Amino acid sequence: MSESPATTPALALVNVDKYFPGVHALKDVSIEIQPGEVVGLIGENGAGKSTLMKILSGVYQPDSGSILIAGEPTHIASAADANHKGIGMVFQEQSLLTNLTVGENIYLGNEAQFTRFGIVDWNALYAAASRQLAKVQVDVDPRMRSEDLDFAARQMVELAKALTLEDLAGGHLVILLDEPTSVLERAEIEVLFARVRALKSRASFIFVSHRLDEVLELSDRIYIMKDGAVVGDLKSGEAEVSELHQLMVGRSLQSEYYRETLQKPYRDEVLVEAEGLSLGTAYKDISFKLHAGEILGIAGVIGSGREELTRTLAGFAPHDGGRLRVGDRDVRLRSPAEAVDIGLGYIPRERRVEGLVLFLSVAANITLGDLGSLARFGLINAGEERRLASKWSERLNVRTPSINTLCLNLSGGNQQKVVLAKWLNAKARILILDHPTRGLDVGAKEEVYELVRATTAEGVAVILTSDTLEETIGLSHTVLVMRDGTITHRTEAAPGAKPRQVDLIGHMV
Amino acid sequence: MNALVEKIGADRIRQWLPLATLVILVVAIGIVEPTFLQPASLLQLASDTAVLFILATGVTFVIMLGGIDLSIQSMASLASVIVALTITRLGYGSFVLAVAVGALAGLLSGLAHVKLRIPSFIATLAAGGVLFSTALVISGERSITMGDSARALQEWITGTVFGIPNVVIVGLIVLAIAHTLQSKTRFGRYSAAIGAGEPAAYASGVKVDRQKIFAFILSSGFAALAGVILAGRLSSGSPTLAAELLLPSIAAVVVGGTAITGGVGSIWRTLVGALIISVVRIGMTFLGVNIFAQNIVFGAVLILAVAITIDRSKIPIVK
Repeated sequence: MSESPATTPALALVNVDKYFPGVHALKDVSIEIQPGEVVGLIGENGAGKSTLMKILSGVYQPDSGSILIAGEPTHIASAADANHKGIGMVFQEQSLLTNLTVGENIYLGNEAQFTRFGIVDWNALYAAASRQLAKVQVDVDPRMRSEDLDFAARQMVELAKALTLEDLAGGHLVILLDEPTSVLERAEIEVLFARVRALKSRASFIFVSHRLDEVLELSDRIYIMKDGAVVGDLKSGEAEVSELHQLMVGRSLQSEYYRETLQKPYRDEVLVEAEGLSLGTAYKDISFKLHAGEILGIAGVIGSGREELTRTLAGFAPHDGGRLRVGDRDVRLRSPAEAVDIGLGYIPRERRVEGLVLFLSVAANITLGDLGSLARFGLINAGEERRLASKWSERLNVRTPSINTLCLNLSGGNQQKVVLAKWLNAKARILILDHPTRGLDVGAKEEVYELVRATTAEGVAVILTSDTLEETIGLSHTVLVMRDGTITHRTEAAPGAKPRQVDLIGHMV
Repeated sequence: MNALVEKIGADRIRQWLPLATLVILVVAIGIVEPTFLQPASLLQLASDTAVLFILATGVTFVIMLGGIDLSIQSMASLASVIVALTITRLGYGSFVLAVAVGALAGLLSGLAHVKLRIPSFIATLAAGGVLFSTALVISGERSITMGDSARALQEWITGTVFGIPNVVIVGLIVLAIAHTLQSKTRFGRYSAAIGAGEPAAYASGVKVDRQKIFAFILSSGFAALAGVILAGRLSSGSPTLAAELLLPSIAAVVVGGTAITGGVGSIWRTLVGALIISVVRIGMTFLGVNIFAQNIVFGAVLILAVAITIDRSKIPIVK
């Protein structure tokens, strides 16, 4: 543990603000990392963690406030500049190029030191790569192609790559670890943590993770973020998971946040029925019924199969076993078009990629899912289109200068309302909400919750996968818990009788 | 917010830039050569633009989707050969046959593109080779001149109505049809959606493959129509009749302001672009530029037009 409070921080952010259209992403954020310290950074999705990391890695520039490296004010212009200033990154999405060897990856972009007259001395490069790999004590031949390594080994190679910055920056390093454990097995996590601890003499670490127990285990100190601000700074020894959670969520669980008083019992009519549904190795033997007016939440960690199940219902990944009934028909959805035809609407997590055509107007996006009903003799009725777009835009309170504004220029919450409007206009009877509040601030989230409640009150059924367990429980009538591709638990979640998170977590891991 | 205002301002200027360019070019040539502004000269300009406009219109549909069709000039040439070979036997049917072959070729290119998942530039580059060689083989590698009986059948191309050349009227009909398709139908809307954000269009239930195939059918079909008209105007069919028209056609689309990356564009813009290309061509003739050197200019114009119109911030990687 670093118990030297008087030293100059290796890295500090002072009063940093960052704005995006419609979102105050970072609010007066100040953090500091001492040399040799491992600092945990936690918060819900949308709390501002990734914005903060992107500022540290030079991808974004702060709108105000300053960055200090070893006490010196500095400007991080780009990812390469961050590297030169001793800030390295190990990404959740691995950045190794799988068609290159381990050694080539480690020195990618920094081959100049092995190059004479334009010719790379590969022996020297591989020898140096071996030394880097030795720093993280990983037994990998630098001449291996990266694709032949397993995920954990690649993670170690990424760490070794980050350590090459020692030579480049010629000083103390700060390494950002962004969700490094999300797909690792427990034993691999132990190894990673042991390496990080062993490297504390040469580097500081910022450790971003959703797994609070791991953050407590590895970090010396923990910053808690919520809604773009730092709301807590705790020594690991003094904190507990429940306390961290409380700070992250910012309140003890308030039932009204999820509009539970608006949660009406669902109807008897079954809209979707799955029986023994399976798809490859992703999931198997999935059975459930979805009723009109019901919100069915699916909880599970990455790899539980819930993401693939969601994609199957949206028409992206047809199941290969079991039965899926929608309405009174057995179906196998081979494309989103087939899903849309039978009344399904998909609200994707990648709102700006799959949800909206950003360079089309609000009106064109709202009518995109059901242009057919606007066409007479093949021609779109422009007046009717404007009328429908205005109607939905008003009903969902989409804040936009006009219905002709490009969706690009809307805030995330209003974009999400346009996606919802598209499916309401298409008269979808079943909505698949795939992380529907990702990246939205609290106010926008509450609006989405309200709209989802109002929609289900009309008899629309919803399948929900969510960023937080709290949201899943708060919104759902019924919660299915998945683990390793199967349903491990099913529970009712009536208002006033919601299951506790801890009870569900037991079925998730 | 300021950046947003600036962006909208820049977009608006960008939108009117092609038309302003056209007007400036016409006025400039008119100053040097006043006869250019007489109705007869302007009608001649319109007649000379028709074939280029029809070719460019077809390929606009594909470019709107974010694809490209490199087979159009070969298709146009093949169409001219088909007309020249069959007009005495089939009469008007020869025109229908040529356009039908065009539509079929587009269908096949489109299928290769969407079903075999081949990039459109490769699929249509290959298709162009096939079509060109087909034209060479069936024509016996020569130009086929059509006789007087055939000319009578081509009155709809070569004649005039109230002093207006029929070819201009055909061009206007193509404009009306293509504009309606592009701005008033589901196909047009879906094309814009696919060009601007294919994943979102797909997730919204748009049958993306079907729209793409249809765009290739239109592109190739219009190319065949352009070949038919060219054959009528020159009274002959030849495997190289439209050989120099691919580059000016694509230049016309882009100069008009349709984004080469898809999503943004219109048939009106293509009309303006085609007129610009025609006026530049006439301007070069006045300046005495060698006719064979014209594609040097059009190549440069294409690069310049893309460089001006493209928004690099949206395209981090170019392949």
